Amino acid sequence: MNNARNYLIHLLLLCFIQIVVLDNIHLGSYVHVNIYIMALFLLPYRMKGISLLLYALGLGLLMDLMDNTTGIHAAASTLVAYVRPRLLQLTSGREAMDEARGFIRQADFAWFFKYAFFSILLFNTVLIFAEAFTFSNLFISCLRILFSTLISLLCVVLYYFIGFRKVKE
Amino acid sequence: MKEIIKLIIKYHFTIVFIILEIICFGLIVRHNEYQRVIFSHQVASFTGSISSMTAYLKSYTRLDEINQELIAENVKLKNRIEQLEIVRRDTTWVEHSLEDSSVIYEYFEAKVVNITFNRMKNIVVLNKGNRHGIEREMAVATPAGVVGFVLSASEHYANVIPLINIESRVSAKLKHNSYYGSLQWDGKDYRYSYLKDIPRHVKITPGDTIITSGFSPIFPANLVVGYVEEIQEENGNFLKIKVRLAVDFKSMSDVYAIKNHRKEERKKLEEGYADE
Repeated sequence: MNNARNYLIHLLLLCFIQIVVLDNIHLGSYVHVNIYIMALFLLPYRMKGISLLLYALGLGLLMDLMDNTTGIHAAASTLVAYVRPRLLQLTSGREAMDEARGFIRQADFAWFFKYAFFSILLFNTVLIFAEAFTFSNLFISCLRILFSTLISLLCVVLYYFIGFRKVKE
Repeated sequence: MKEIIKLIIKYHFTIVFIILEIICFGLIVRHNEYQRVIFSHQVASFTGSISSMTAYLKSYTRLDEINQELIAENVKLKNRIEQLEIVRRDTTWVEHSLEDSSVIYEYFEAKVVNITFNRMKNIVVLNKGNRHGIEREMAVATPAGVVGFVLSASEHYANVIPLINIESRVSAKLKHNSYYGSLQWDGKDYRYSYLKDIPRHVKITPGDTIITSGFSPIFPANLVVGYVEEIQEENGNFLKIKVRLAVDFKSMSDVYAIKNHRKEERKKLEEGYADE
């Protein structure tokens, strides 16, 4: 119960930051900063299956609504949700999975960083290509993916240290 | 069926994911101007390449039709040549051209719908008749050579007396020295006919070309009739030449009918002389 309340606070906070602050920061066409995707990282381990996908789709569509980019965020966040179970398995060892109790493992920063990096990279890959909608100018697309991933990762890590720890306590 | 359901249950996560991504893709294309333009452009070029490929394949199935069209065009061009021929001829006599610039020969295309080989009086039926401009006493030929002449024409069909009819007599000559004779079929082999009344002293070698003389008002001059196959002696002073006909009556399908626009005039003149 406590976990659920914590999660809701995180979710609202992340969405708020995303919509009110980050969506209004324009760093040129090379950088898209998206922190709301962290809401998917913070989900409890046991949340799996179709509900996870639908949840991600809804979150993506909400961001699309704010960003006026129908479907692009939704496609990217759904992909992140899809790879989440597999990525969790890959990045953490067996014993970590056995714990399967929400936030506890997320205190391990090294693991969280690894997981967040791959997720954000995938997210931005889909996002940028869905936006460009073409495979021409591949180099520029790759640059955009790289910059967006780095900046977003930076934001996510900042939030991890500032917001996450605080709510935890 | 059970297996399929099992498979669906096993991979439901992935399947739902794919469905959701497709929905997202649909949303992107539907609601974003830029993506929609690109998407519709891609779709258009894809369907365009598909339809051009099917058109290419289709063109094979209608080669027959295309052939028809080419023949029709050929006929048109031949008519045009005749018209231009007049212009060329008449440039030397400008006055003459003013009063006489009509075409001498006009070509019509037709298809053979029936043909007989094994009678004495063989006949060829064409699929064109009065309605298409086919008339009595028009010459009929293929690009290879003479077929015969039109005996009678109905609304839609025409009867042709081919060279392989014992009643057909065509005035023909040797191409290389213009000695002429009468070509007549003996009623036996559809591949061969006989050219008679060639004087004995004329030098002929097998393979020489026989062409129409142009003496009859029906046939234009210089149409190929056939090739010398064998030289036989008829009686005393004349030779009888076995002619391999240029047209293969067994494989013939498309023909030209040739109308001589000055036939009547010529006939009248010739008859007028006979009456005097």
